[in-house]
Amino acid sequence: MILQSLIIALESLWANKMRSVLSMLGIIIGVGAVIAIVSVGTGSTQQVTSRIANLGSNMITVYPRTARGQGGRVSSGSSQEKFSLELADYMEKFCPSIIKVIPVKQVNGRLISGDINVNTTLLGTNLDYADVNNYEVDTGNFISKNDDQERRQVMVLGSQLAKDLFEDANPIGKRIKVNYDGQVYMFDVIGVMKEKGGSMGGDLDDRAYIPLSVSMDKLTNSDFVTSYIAQAASSEKAATAVNELKNFMVKFLNDENEEQFRIISQDEILDTVSSVTATMSIMLGGIAAISLLVGGIGIMNIMLVSVTERTREIGVRKALGARNAHILFQFLMESLNLTSFGGILGIGFGWGAAYFLSQYGNWPMVIAPLSIGLAFGFALFIGIFFGLYPAMKAAKMNPVDALRYE
Amino acid sequence: MSKVIQIEQLKKTYHLGKVEVEALRGVSFEINSGDFVSIMGPSGSGKSTLMHIIGCLDYPTEGKYFLSGQDVSKLNDNQLALFRNQKIGFVFQQFNLLPKATILKNVELPLTYNNTHSKNKKRLAVQALEEVGLGDRLKHRPNEISGGQKQRVAIARALINHPSIILADEPTGNLDSKTGGDIMEIIKKLHDDGNTIILVTHEPEIARYGKRIIYLKDGVIDRDEVIV
Ligand SMILES: Nc1ncnc2c1ncn2[C@@H]1O[C@H](COP(=O)(O)OP(=O)(O)O)[C@@H](O)[C@H]1O
Ligand SMILES: [Mg+2]
Repeated sequence: MILQSLIIALESLWANKMRSVLSMLGIIIGVGAVIAIVSVGTGSTQQVTSRIANLGSNMITVYPRTARGQGGRVSSGSSQEKFSLELADYMEKFCPSIIKVIPVKQVNGRLISGDINVNTTLLGTNLDYADVNNYEVDTGNFISKNDDQERRQVMVLGSQLAKDLFEDANPIGKRIKVNYDGQVYMFDVIGVMKEKGGSMGGDLDDRAYIPLSVSMDKLTNSDFVTSYIAQAASSEKAATAVNELKNFMVKFLNDENEEQFRIISQDEILDTVSSVTATMSIMLGGIAAISLLVGGIGIMNIMLVSVTERTREIGVRKALGARNAHILFQFLMESLNLTSFGGILGIGFGWGAAYFLSQYGNWPMVIAPLSIGLAFGFALFIGIFFGLYPAMKAAKMNPVDALRYE
Repeated sequence: MSKVIQIEQLKKTYHLGKVEVEALRGVSFEINSGDFVSIMGPSGSGKSTLMHIIGCLDYPTEGKYFLSGQDVSKLNDNQLALFRNQKIGFVFQQFNLLPKATILKNVELPLTYNNTHSKNKKRLAVQALEEVGLGDRLKHRPNEISGGQKQRVAIARALINHPSIILADEPTGNLDSKTGGDIMEIIKKLHDDGNTIILVTHEPEIARYGKRIIYLKDGVIDRDEVIV
């Protein structure tokens, strides 16, 4: 009986092609939206997470927290004055899950080459920095141990910064004037980094890298760093490493309430990113669900019209021996066909939209089978749910009244 | 001869808001297997109402109706549907073909509702259409053939399950007299083949194809004549 009803329903849908397509539109858009949204959500999340992972999945950054006094002034005796070079060695020693700690001294200065001026961040660090960050030189060399020990005024440029200063010319061997705190220093360019893109705390490609010793002893004349980058032994050990670091800092700074320092791990950033995208997905998914619901109401509407229009047909079928169940299944199959064809077209449409958006947004195109199953299942459910009432109305018709209907 | 139809004091009352319409007010008769009965009467006398009840499309308000010895008032919806499918062949004045289905599909329709295998379905339908002279129009749709041909399709459809009775409610009402005559010849031949036929008409010449004429007036039997 179900098979016959299916065939009858298909014939009738085919007879009303245009109307069938129009009434499917809501379902097509709804299903397409679900698939596109889920795909965009997972694709862009993957892109962001892979970028973050690219930074080195096991990196932990420790900053001094500038304790604020009343009126937002930095209170005196700041904890910054405890962030020394030696502290990096202590961290390595007391935190077994951490294999390396790199001190960073960051300053903002003006770079001058010929008549081009660029304000940028100068990052004082040592050769481990590039290593730990998965960050490689494109041409030339990164800062060496000797550069650091001998306080050579050398500089490695981020890829974008190199373009800004020298356009297409080879920057290596060029001299750059650095204006910092009213003083002028001369630096030799020894390398240019590969392109890396954005990351936590700004775009790496816009920065210049100089030896830590130069930044601390020559530029700032300070004994204290701006942050430490700690590398955990593995990404599995990252969480343990964060705890070890935290305990160490609490003891070292005698800072029970963690007011003087701040630890940021990749995990934490990933969590934030994924919770943001999850919220987005839920929101957009809600919109998609509503459009499916509206599509369902459209289906019900069209089915009610169809039942009324075909009252006479229902009467004839009953006169020829159709049972109520035959009529019920016929109309149920019709709405189910509408929503399942709509669902299939919607999958194609969503796929296309997801592909287009992934090209546009430059992230990997991911179509989760679950989202297809979910959207399609929901479409079928809507076909049954919204088709049931019109189908029951048709099935319950009195044959004589139906036959007399003009 | 066995009685196909026994009707006792049949009444049918329609309620239109506060107004009650007594379409049938106590009708009794019997019809034997193989009979050809014409029912005549003015418009509104209750002919169609009677046909609908005989055709198991409607329930009487009062009275008894036995079809092949079975009390129809005791049947539920599904059993009524089965009776309509197996025991009744209906031919309507307005043909009542499905406009979007081919002629072949239209004739196959009653077989669809008793799970006949699709191969047999086609064979039986083609056979029935050949009997009414439309074996060459299988793929046509109802709007591509004439009124007389439509009625022949309807007759083929009515015959396909070999029903106990064929009910024809003014089958020539929408046809010119020449075409109507052709249809009546087909119906007469069905009777000659042994089918039981009840025919509603208000044209005396058409009614005379029957072997017995029941005259209805205001919902009761006025006269019941056997033609010799
Ligand atoms: N569904 C209905 N509702 C109300 N009145 C009806 C209905 N069907 C028929 N009638 C009334 O019953 C009477 C008999 O109708 P009908 O059997 O169609 O007569 P006939 O076929 O002899 O012209 C008429 O007065 C008609 O108006
Ligand atoms: Mg009538």
